[in-house]
Amino acid sequence: MQFSRNWLKEFVDFKVSDEELCEQLTMLGLEVDNCKPYESKLTGQDAIIKLDLTPNRGDCFSILGIAREVAAANNLPLTLPKIDNIKNSIKSPLSVSVCNEAPRYVGRYIAGVNLKKKVPPLIKERLKLSDTKVIDPIVDITNYVLLELGQPLHAFDADKLEGNLQVRFAKEKEKITLLDETKLSLDEKSLVIADQKKPVALAGIMGGLETGISNKTQAIYLESAFFTPAAIRGRARKFSIQTDASTRFERGVDFELQVLAIQRASTLINETLGSDFSPIQEFIRKSSIPKNRDIVLNINNLNKILGMNLTKSTVKKGLTSLGLRNSVSNSNNLKVKVPSWRFDLKIEADLIEEIARLEGYNNIPQSALSRKIRTSEDTLHTSIRKTFQSMGYNEVITYSFIDQSLAELVGEKKKQLIFVENPISQNMNVMRASLLPGLLDTLSYNINQGSESLKIFEIGSVFNKRDSNKINEREVVGGLITGIEGKDNWSGSNKELDFFDLKGNLETVLPELSKFSFKKEQVPFLHPGKTAALYKGQKKVGYLGTVNPKLLDKLDIKGEVNFFEFSVDDISEKKNIKFKKFSRFPLAQRDLSFVVDEEITSSSITDAILSKAGSNLKEINLFDIYMGKGIAKGQKSLTYSLNWQAVNRTLTDDEVDKIIGRIVSFLSKKFNAKLRA
Amino acid sequence: MNISSLSKKSKSKLKSAKDLRALEENYINLLGRNGEINLLLKNLGGLPQNQRKKSGKALNELKSSLEIIFRSRRDYLKEKSFSEELKRDSLDVSLPGVKDEPGTLHPVTSTIMEISDFFVSMGFDVHSGPEAETEYYNFEALNIPEDHPAKDMHDTFYLDNGVLLRTHTSPVQIRTMEKQGPPIRIICPGRVYRKDSDLTHTPMFHQVEGLVIEENASFSVLKGMLSDFINNFFGKEMDLRFRPSYFPFTEPSAEVDIKWKKGWLEILGCGMVHPNVLDMSGINSKRYSGFAFGLGPERMAMLKYDIPDLRSFFENDLRFLKQFK
Repeated sequence: MQFSRNWLKEFVDFKVSDEELCEQLTMLGLEVDNCKPYESKLTGQDAIIKLDLTPNRGDCFSILGIAREVAAANNLPLTLPKIDNIKNSIKSPLSVSVCNEAPRYVGRYIAGVNLKKKVPPLIKERLKLSDTKVIDPIVDITNYVLLELGQPLHAFDADKLEGNLQVRFAKEKEKITLLDETKLSLDEKSLVIADQKKPVALAGIMGGLETGISNKTQAIYLESAFFTPAAIRGRARKFSIQTDASTRFERGVDFELQVLAIQRASTLINETLGSDFSPIQEFIRKSSIPKNRDIVLNINNLNKILGMNLTKSTVKKGLTSLGLRNSVSNSNNLKVKVPSWRFDLKIEADLIEEIARLEGYNNIPQSALSRKIRTSEDTLHTSIRKTFQSMGYNEVITYSFIDQSLAELVGEKKKQLIFVENPISQNMNVMRASLLPGLLDTLSYNINQGSESLKIFEIGSVFNKRDSNKINEREVVGGLITGIEGKDNWSGSNKELDFFDLKGNLETVLPELSKFSFKKEQVPFLHPGKTAALYKGQKKVGYLGTVNPKLLDKLDIKGEVNFFEFSVDDISEKKNIKFKKFSRFPLAQRDLSFVVDEEITSSSITDAILSKAGSNLKEINLFDIYMGKGIAKGQKSLTYSLNWQAVNRTLTDDEVDKIIGRIVSFLSKKFNAKLRA
Repeated sequence: MNISSLSKKSKSKLKSAKDLRALEENYINLLGRNGEINLLLKNLGGLPQNQRKKSGKALNELKSSLEIIFRSRRDYLKEKSFSEELKRDSLDVSLPGVKDEPGTLHPVTSTIMEISDFFVSMGFDVHSGPEAETEYYNFEALNIPEDHPAKDMHDTFYLDNGVLLRTHTSPVQIRTMEKQGPPIRIICPGRVYRKDSDLTHTPMFHQVEGLVIEENASFSVLKGMLSDFINNFFGKEMDLRFRPSYFPFTEPSAEVDIKWKKGWLEILGCGMVHPNVLDMSGINSKRYSGFAFGLGPERMAMLKYDIPDLRSFFENDLRFLKQFK
């Protein structure tokens, strides 16, 4: 809503400066977007004020509505615009039948209109300052009254109407061409004004082209109606049209304003165009006209909610200034009647806000919130993030919607993908089922920007339809590494980031690592020989591996990339750290090398050693894997360092040797492993 | 045996040792278990009593004076060898250190953490919920009816089967109210989605929303708490104002502006929870009141770090991310 300050001043004679006025409006909840000075040849120094109105304040889409607020805030009287008593010299040729959705329809037949005349310069100027096009005198006057009072009006070319009018719902597929030449096919939820043959207007939204006025128009039928908000809401949006009329009707137009508005428009038409007027016709369905609501406000509730200490008389005065007439009052209760223009006031809380606005939000005292002991804390996410950060990873946040082709490229099946019905662009049309596409995208972007190595991670939701048709949303953490770490280092301590760097990072991040295990498995977009699934007990919770070079080739990414992803829900945080007593007796340390067949996994050897090493084993560490000279082809040597320690004594060499004997014979039996000297 | 010549010879042997190794060698030859002096001491038994006593004394005296000489020579040689080695051994200290490049948290994450820390210290729990939501939790339960103009403020993305991408984190508040009775103090950080993309809007962004339901939650306490939070966040007393606004789920509703450069800048929305919202979630609005607030961590991060363009948060350019160490 944009308007001239001098126009507003005709309604309420405020004395404050433009700056103060704008501050006042904003602090009343009518946010001033901007205010620009304007030099008017007609009214002198003026200003153009633009408001950002909230959807609850339909009543403020008019000079009258804004004036009411200014009058209430400054305790000033309100002046309504001039209404002339117009002589009725002709009869209206038509009548209107109304319905529940249009319980009041006020009309007037006006003949002898001369559309070659022009509206006065002041009307023209104010329309322009309100960003409204000047078209012809009738349209200009209806627009002027709309801005002034907030009542949308419509003028039909009376000679083009066939018979009486009727407000009704359209028939399925009924057609209308609107004033802006939009052709619509209507449905049974569209409220229309129709003559005996066809719809002539989309009620509360826009008139029809065929019955609109033109420069040949001789007589008009002027409509000033009340349509219920529910009947108009959503209709304009459905047809993708938003008009000044629909904006007001869907928020609520004063249901007692229709006669006043047609009188005001008649006054201006009479002044500008002369013309002959029929009596004002008012067609109503009384039972469907909204009632003035009663609301009871309890002063104690108000003071409790606001944290204030207002007296009943202050509150009463405030409500009265806003047009909320007080009908009954006993002890702490005030019963007030809501005026016909305030569709937003329904319950006590709404009145509490009215009083708070008038008192000024900034005048409500501040008090402190008492502290309280928290019952839970999200330490898991923080610890995952901080651990990755400490290992040199950069956290990224990528979009949750990605390109379908990218999703399919990483092996997602189309029927398991979740599509966005109304994507913002075609390359954001499916929900990601894995973090990989977003992370690869980030990788490509940064490589193109000149980065040579990358360690990134993200925590976020992924979506799919794997098990049923229902959307399955999971929170995962994923990351990837590529390139050479320490490449810029003069000391030469650089290293290509590989599978085991990533695995080591994962092992650092996972709380209670002993509950997890890694098993070699296949994942569509990962290297078939370099991929492991992560298990917690029997449940698969994630995977890691080298990204399949075929996929990287398609994305034009060079070098090796390693990727992981695991489900956050399956990771539980470590809680309640308790001190454990540690042994102060010396460690018995032994290194053992075993030669086994190449395909035997190290974890099976480790597990076998663990099964025979006894409860005093403190540490096992595989520190060398060797193939080549001195080892037969197809075999490898694994070297472990083992530490034993008892809690209550020093272990003897004999004891340790016995344990080693058991290990060696077990490994020999199970894997045909040979102890290497 | 001539003790005086032995004394002379052995003292000079120790004093003239060129380095620690020679000194050690001479020391062992003289004073070691089988050294010259110990051998003499062992052989004393074969001497007559008076001579034995005299020689013994002289030898022991020699032994202790040799010990003193040895130690001082050793200290001298050590000092000399250290200073020579220190002179020789030197680094170009201007070379850069060998370091592991630290990682970074995304500025949106660290801003959310910072916001959460404040509220967690006031006894708020951190809650989260699904991003794929139902109409009910995203709109209806928040007093936003179908076709209401208020819905225009939320341009919504729809998925299959009428499921939508939440347009705010408020559904988490509803889910919490349904599950848990009052008193409630929670904050809900998370991703939200609106179909909007320009200089100041991205189709995905974050929100941190908070909810307090207690018997004495008032607008006055809401004001006090948020002022505290804002001053804490920016690390100084901020000029701020609360002004009336409209959200379907709060009444009264307010927006909070801070003085920024020359004008007022909106940074969060808040209000007293609408009684309809409480009642729909099974909380007696006659007995309990509550307040809620919501803010955008991107906006807060932009102000705090002077970031000009919202879109840079989701571009994930390392040259951007690495600045937030």
